[in-house]
Amino acid sequence: MSVRNAPASIRSSLVCFAALLGIFVTAPWPPLQSVFHVALVLGFAPLESVPLVAGLWAVAAGWVAEVTLRMVPHPGGAAWVDLTLTLTVLFFNRFWPPDRRLIWWGRLAGFTLLHSLLLYLSMALASGSHPAGRGWLWALLTSPFWAMLAWRVKPAAHPR
Amino acid sequence: MAPRAGWRSTGWQGWILVLLWLGHGLWVLTGRWPSLGLVKALAVVSGPVLKISAKWETRGEARRQIIQNLASAEQENAQLKTKVGVYELQEAREGPRRAEAEEAIRLLGLKRQLPLETLAARVIANTRTAPFGGLVLDQGSDLGLQPDQGVIAPEGVVGRIWSVGSRQASVLPLDAYNASTGVMLARSRATGVLQGTGPGKAEIRYISSQEGVQVGEAVYTSGLDRVFPRGLLVGFVSQVRPRDTELKVEVALSAPLDRLHLLLVLPAKPPIEVSPPSTPPVGAGKGLQ
Repeated sequence: MSVRNAPASIRSSLVCFAALLGIFVTAPWPPLQSVFHVALVLGFAPLESVPLVAGLWAVAAGWVAEVTLRMVPHPGGAAWVDLTLTLTVLFFNRFWPPDRRLIWWGRLAGFTLLHSLLLYLSMALASGSHPAGRGWLWALLTSPFWAMLAWRVKPAAHPR
Repeated sequence: MAPRAGWRSTGWQGWILVLLWLGHGLWVLTGRWPSLGLVKALAVVSGPVLKISAKWETRGEARRQIIQNLASAEQENAQLKTKVGVYELQEAREGPRRAEAEEAIRLLGLKRQLPLETLAARVIANTRTAPFGGLVLDQGSDLGLQPDQGVIAPEGVVGRIWSVGSRQASVLPLDAYNASTGVMLARSRATGVLQGTGPGKAEIRYISSQEGVQVGEAVYTSGLDRVFPRGLLVGFVSQVRPRDTELKVEVALSAPLDRLHLLLVLPAKPPIEVSPPSTPPVGAGKGLQ
């Protein structure tokens, strides 16, 4: 059985795992890490059929991103925001599933900006003031790619 | 609203998510102080990544430094090339002038060593390769030149003035076939007559076969022709062969007749004996004054 023919849950889990691995590996390059981070939190984790699994992927993404390279005094803020936004996107996908790719991508692009804003505020709240890089811009610029990848991976129709 | 499949069917998962969210929120809001121990633990966990990052950054910095050094070296190389080009051009311009200045310095030294009233002249043409050719000087009868005045260079005797115009004079070089000069050998003091035999060469006539002449022996003017005083260097013996009752002594002339620019003209009928100063004149060789 190839990955393409695998059930949707296995496919999304594999993609989530690959993205989480990407966050860990790309830690020396924060802009690239931001792309994997946002793609996992907003694009791939909400594809999980079980909300708890989606939340755990999001929490894992936040903790890995925060502890690999960015040694903030009090980590945990990113995981909190990731969990919040993953559940939010999951909620939107379940109750207002997009029927067109443009709407899907536009929604994820908007959530990308919201994610960067909340991430900054949460980390500021937990650890104090810190420099904000241009990772959000990289994530936004690459959103067509990972959003379309998530579109292909997602199940054909979510049960409502 | 009907319950959604996978969303409400497992309520305990929802409670776990709520606890997870609240726990994180509480963790964030409690601030940084309680987590210092955790930070230390996380530092240990993230050590490998930090090492890789540091190595990568070090390599990147070294590479940037190399590129910067290379660019700097290329820029410096271009500047040096430009400077070398300028210096080469300057050298090409100054070269002939410097050579002439050095020749003038040597001529001045010679002039100060000779206790004679000499006159400097510049060679403006060299027609030695033509039949009956010679050297043409830029001085003539307007400065008192007359035929049969000796002409010398720092390297040795050049010849004698053959004809004189108002502003020019022609010199019969020693290697001309019709040139004759009284000479003597340095070691045996035997005297003879030097006759030209071709470019840069001459032959001494009337040397008895009884004389012992060695190759390499210096040849000086004898002063007997009343053109040159005694003791001026003419050349060196290059070959000695017996011929009937006399020796055939070939002489390599010391003066470079092909590349003469400045010459000294001796006075007419100089004394046979001149006594050069025992010490070199002060300032000789330091330049034209």
